[in-house]
Amino acid sequence: MSLFDYSDSPVPVRSTLAEGHRRAFERIARPGMWWTGPERVAIAAESRAAFDCELCKERKQALSPFAVDGEHDRPTQEGLAPLPDAAVDAVHRLVTDPARLSGEWVETLTKDGELTVEQYVEMIGVTTQTLSIDTVHRGLGIPLESLPEPRDGEPSRRRPTQAAMEGAWVPMVRPDKLDPEDEDLYGGGRTGNVIRAMSLVPNEVRALTDLSGAQYLSMPQMMAWGEQFRSITRPQIELVAGRVSALNECFY
Amino acid sequence: MLRVSGEATQTEVDLEAITAGTDSSGKHSQVPHSDLLIALAEAVVAADEEELRPLRERAVAEMGEEQLVDAIAVAGNFMRMVRIADGTGIPLDKPMMQMSQDFRADLGVDQFGGASNTPELGIVAKATSGLTRAAFRRMAKP
Repeated sequence: MSLFDYSDSPVPVRSTLAEGHRRAFERIARPGMWWTGPERVAIAAESRAAFDCELCKERKQALSPFAVDGEHDRPTQEGLAPLPDAAVDAVHRLVTDPARLSGEWVETLTKDGELTVEQYVEMIGVTTQTLSIDTVHRGLGIPLESLPEPRDGEPSRRRPTQAAMEGAWVPMVRPDKLDPEDEDLYGGGRTGNVIRAMSLVPNEVRALTDLSGAQYLSMPQMMAWGEQFRSITRPQIELVAGRVSALNECFY
Repeated sequence: MLRVSGEATQTEVDLEAITAGTDSSGKHSQVPHSDLLIALAEAVVAADEEELRPLRERAVAEMGEEQLVDAIAVAGNFMRMVRIADGTGIPLDKPMMQMSQDFRADLGVDQFGGASNTPELGIVAKATSGLTRAAFRRMAKP
């Protein structure tokens, strides 16, 4: 059976969604720009472990997310690549308490040498893709897909030459400052900060837009306000999107 | 985005439902199945199978299987997008600030932690918010 077969799903799952999920897992398994394939799969596994982590539940109830110390519940899957403690903690916080992250925390995390800011951004990409796909499975009442077998190879370690700090906690690349190999990144035009957020690791922008195209809308579809691309209308789509964002206390 | 989509499709939307959810007193929405969609979004975020199961059945009966899948897929997508925004501390884009300045405070969105990442609009930007909204409205027209 191939990845994301969905033949056992209680409701039919459109092929474009299954294909988007398949591409996302295939990307997660490959070497990234700053993490290896085995490390990326280990990040995905950590994203799942965070979901039921007792320490994270305790922290979520605490007045300050930094008031409670302890050990995270870790993945039970054997053979996963080891991750730095800072990365494990970051994945868990991102999954379970994202609204209380802070710029100061990111700065500390990435300045003590255990995690680079590039690794941090790529970690966000892998963690959130896994969570996003798992959310669809939980929502539809179907078992989570097995994590992919990691591929061998080294990360490319290419940092965009014009990435700069400009208001976010991580460097980003402006549309007019893209390197030639990244000219495709924003679809050739202006784009919102939520797309640029991952641009320190260009492949994570590509991953973001590809998965969004499968689960939500592609960038051109987003701008075609009056047209309908899904079985639900655009206001219905935005109602769900807005409510999910508000429940997560996301200002953006 | 909800407001612009409502204007583009000439559908009256209830912005209060975004923050008030199923408790919304507005109930002025012309968005079909809005109560069900809100309830589904809430159950997906809570990841509560006991809540989800009957909602899925209701969604299939009232909207259809394809519609259920698309609604859940959107919810999954935004579980990701909010974490990208919160994990990177991006500020809200200026046009979006201008477009939403008239209702953010009313809805309580300005109280969210991430609001501190976005600087206040300047006098000129505030004054031209109406023009930005009008430009978006024109752009969104079918």
